[in-house]
Amino acid sequence: MKYRIVTNNPLAKKEFHNVCFIEGSYEDVLLKIRDLVYEGLDLISHPLGASMRMLYSPYRSIVVGQKNEAIDLFHIEIIENSIMNYRKNLEGRKIDWVHAEDYALIDNELLKSTLEDLEFSFNKGI
Amino acid sequence: MKLELRRIHIKDIQFGKTTKVKDGVLTVNKEELINKLKDDERIKDIKVDVARPGEKVRIIPVKDVIEPRVKIEGSGNGFPGVSTKMAQLGEGKVNILYGAAIVTVGDIVGFQEGVIDMWGEGAKWTPFSKTYNLVLDITPVEGLDPHSHEATVRLAGLKAAEFVGKAGRNVEPNEVLTYEIGSHAEETKKYPNLPKVLYVEMLISQGLLHDGYIYGVNSQKILPTLLHPNEELDGAVISGNCVAACDKITTYQHQNNSVILDLYAQHGKTLNFMGVILAPELTTLEGKFRTCDYTAKLCKMIGVDGVIISEEGYGNPDSDLLMICKRLENAGIKTVLITDECSGRDGKSQPLADTAKEAVAVVSGGNVSHVVTLPPADKVIGNAEAIATLAGGWDGALLEDGTLMCELNAVIGATSEIGYHYCTAKLY
Amino acid sequence: MAEKFKVLYYVNQFFGQIGGEDKAGMEPMYKEETVGPAMGFNSSLKGEGEVIGTLICGDNYFNENKEEALEYILKVIKDNNPDIVVTGPAFNAGRYGMACAEIAKAVVKELNIPVVSGMYIENPGLDVCKDIAIVAETSDSAAGMRKALPVMANLVRKIAKGEELGLPEEEGYIPQGKRLTVFAEKRGSQRAVEMLLARLNDEEFQTELPMPVFDTVDPAPAIKDLSKATIALVTSGGMVPLGNPDRIQSASAQKWGKYDVSGRDALTGEYCTIHGGFDPVYANELPDRVAPLDILKELEKEGYIGKAFEYFYTTTGTGTSVGNSVKFGTEIGKELKEAGVDGVILTST
Repeated sequence: MKYRIVTNNPLAKKEFHNVCFIEGSYEDVLLKIRDLVYEGLDLISHPLGASMRMLYSPYRSIVVGQKNEAIDLFHIEIIENSIMNYRKNLEGRKIDWVHAEDYALIDNELLKSTLEDLEFSFNKGI
Repeated sequence: MKLELRRIHIKDIQFGKTTKVKDGVLTVNKEELINKLKDDERIKDIKVDVARPGEKVRIIPVKDVIEPRVKIEGSGNGFPGVSTKMAQLGEGKVNILYGAAIVTVGDIVGFQEGVIDMWGEGAKWTPFSKTYNLVLDITPVEGLDPHSHEATVRLAGLKAAEFVGKAGRNVEPNEVLTYEIGSHAEETKKYPNLPKVLYVEMLISQGLLHDGYIYGVNSQKILPTLLHPNEELDGAVISGNCVAACDKITTYQHQNNSVILDLYAQHGKTLNFMGVILAPELTTLEGKFRTCDYTAKLCKMIGVDGVIISEEGYGNPDSDLLMICKRLENAGIKTVLITDECSGRDGKSQPLADTAKEAVAVVSGGNVSHVVTLPPADKVIGNAEAIATLAGGWDGALLEDGTLMCELNAVIGATSEIGYHYCTAKLY
Repeated sequence: MAEKFKVLYYVNQFFGQIGGEDKAGMEPMYKEETVGPAMGFNSSLKGEGEVIGTLICGDNYFNENKEEALEYILKVIKDNNPDIVVTGPAFNAGRYGMACAEIAKAVVKELNIPVVSGMYIENPGLDVCKDIAIVAETSDSAAGMRKALPVMANLVRKIAKGEELGLPEEEGYIPQGKRLTVFAEKRGSQRAVEMLLARLNDEEFQTELPMPVFDTVDPAPAIKDLSKATIALVTSGGMVPLGNPDRIQSASAQKWGKYDVSGRDALTGEYCTIHGGFDPVYANELPDRVAPLDILKELEKEGYIGKAFEYFYTTTGTGTSVGNSVKFGTEIGKELKEAGVDGVILTST
């Protein structure tokens, strides 16, 4: 298995097999990613979205890769910064549960794009 | 390449029997426009409305803004590769209905934002309060998948811009602007002592509602690519981006890219403008490395002295922005970055998601979390329910009388990262 | 002519003309007159406002009896109901600066009356109050009084009259750290082109978004043989002997402490935390969770390390100014180096 998807998005769980499903929040997904990166797994996709609006999302899917002997310091920096930014931006805001289904859909679509970018034939892998 | 942008100043939009421009008034035959767009069988219903500067009108949720134009000389009318046949853009004459804009509205997903207020406080914050807006509210047929839905709305806007633009075909323009830059060799020979400058324009390229297109090619699929500035001014780049209302680059802003125009104004005087590199902002870290290395390589190959880099969005694109900056500065190429900030509602937080000591020259488009208070509108074009979404995220943002407190984040073009608008942030 | 706005002034025993260090223990008092700098300040108001009285308090008294001092001071201010309160200028005086800052914070928060103070940029009081009060930037010594008072008076005048303050560098106050969105004269792309041209022509330019500067410290070379090394334990977790004998502050620390732990196997039993920045339940249950003296001693017994250093160093990290942190670090580092310590375990919370 080359890639693993860490997600709390039920759509992604349904669609893909190589999923580490988190029963929890966006932040829990970030924390899981942090733990995995410290274990030496490659961080494949950036933990944050590309706009403020996507930070309101209840769901997030992030791709990690293979485990290495050495920890990648750049990956550590990215995930730690992302957690800080996520918390900063959620201060005084609420997660947008009203549109949860839409966020699940878009997160899943963005995940597909990421996997396509990785030339990974999804639905087949484990 | 030589491109003439011929501006016909539009002072009002009316509905009427024929679509035409007379004495600066654009008249649109609504039925004809609707029928034309309904050729696309994915469209169930279209409402067409006009919003004029100063009217107490709110448009929401805006998907894209497009400038209506017609090419009267040279190849490639419209948006080649997307709505018309492929052609080389950048040369010829274009008649522009300057001051008019096609605004598409359509909530592809419920959390979409993007507000244009035509009057009062809200008008200050968006450049599109100053244009006469022909607003298309597009409802697709049921059961359309989200990709087709997005494409339908995107295409409808482009086609409408072409349809309306045709009204300017035989109208004498009020002003004619000429944009001409020759080959690198020619320009360098002409201006041997001027510093060579490139513009790197980053595009969100991440998937559904997060896309941009160059001659119809999804920017996700490209390596960074070099354009003649005229190509973008002539319609080569269009927006498929429905998030990041405040700092996304609408199609209108590609057609009128302010960095390109302001660099053009200095070309041959203080600098030698060598072109535009379009750089995709991808989701994968490997992809980001590839893009940033490749962008820096292009700049080095062309041998430029300075580069302006503009971002699109906030969050993971901050990494790309600073990675490109680092690579260029380390190669001895001077950079200026244009971005916006996310320094919290009180303005006290760290403004970017990433930092780099090499980023010594940065232009800020303002704080996306800056709170603005928008009074209720007399008329809402689009989906009034989306107003609650704008206010969403925190308590007490939607008052009983309809007054809305929202972050600039929701306002189209407010904190433009191509420097299209006038906002900045200062330390107090 | 509009009614004059009322200013209440705060100074320490020295500027209140009571006396020097020997009077630093004096309790706060109130005089319905302009004392010391309040006099010069009053004339700088150009008749638009007036100082109605001066509060005076000893620096030591304030810092050691903060609650009592504040209670009195707030009551006086409440009773006299000024439009604005002025504290200092404190220049670079640490204790005076802390008093000016704490009073400013309390007055704004509890009485909702605006406060203007004056400080040198490195005054430890600055971080306590700059986001809530307006602090004029002064020189580091009282020699800058003549320059500071008109600046402060101008700030006071504007705030009292409800005028908006301009940029910090224009008005002479220290930035509060708020990035506000404003309109520029030129659009962003134009500013970018001009900035690039300035860079290309080696002219001066000013970034609109300065990157944060991080103070990085190069790590010391690795210890070659741990079994011969002396290791010290230092914490910013506020662990102190029960009763806090040196009265280390629970936030915005002004000092650090060192305690002989050579005879102990663990901190647990005689130590507790006074740190005001976290829930102390688990730390107090087992203080070694914050500063693991127990493990260090075990490693010493096992011979894994040569020796656990006999003194344990401690302070509180929360709210402590960068200036003080650098000072503490330098002082503690010097002692440890002179004592021949090879390595330090530094814990934070």
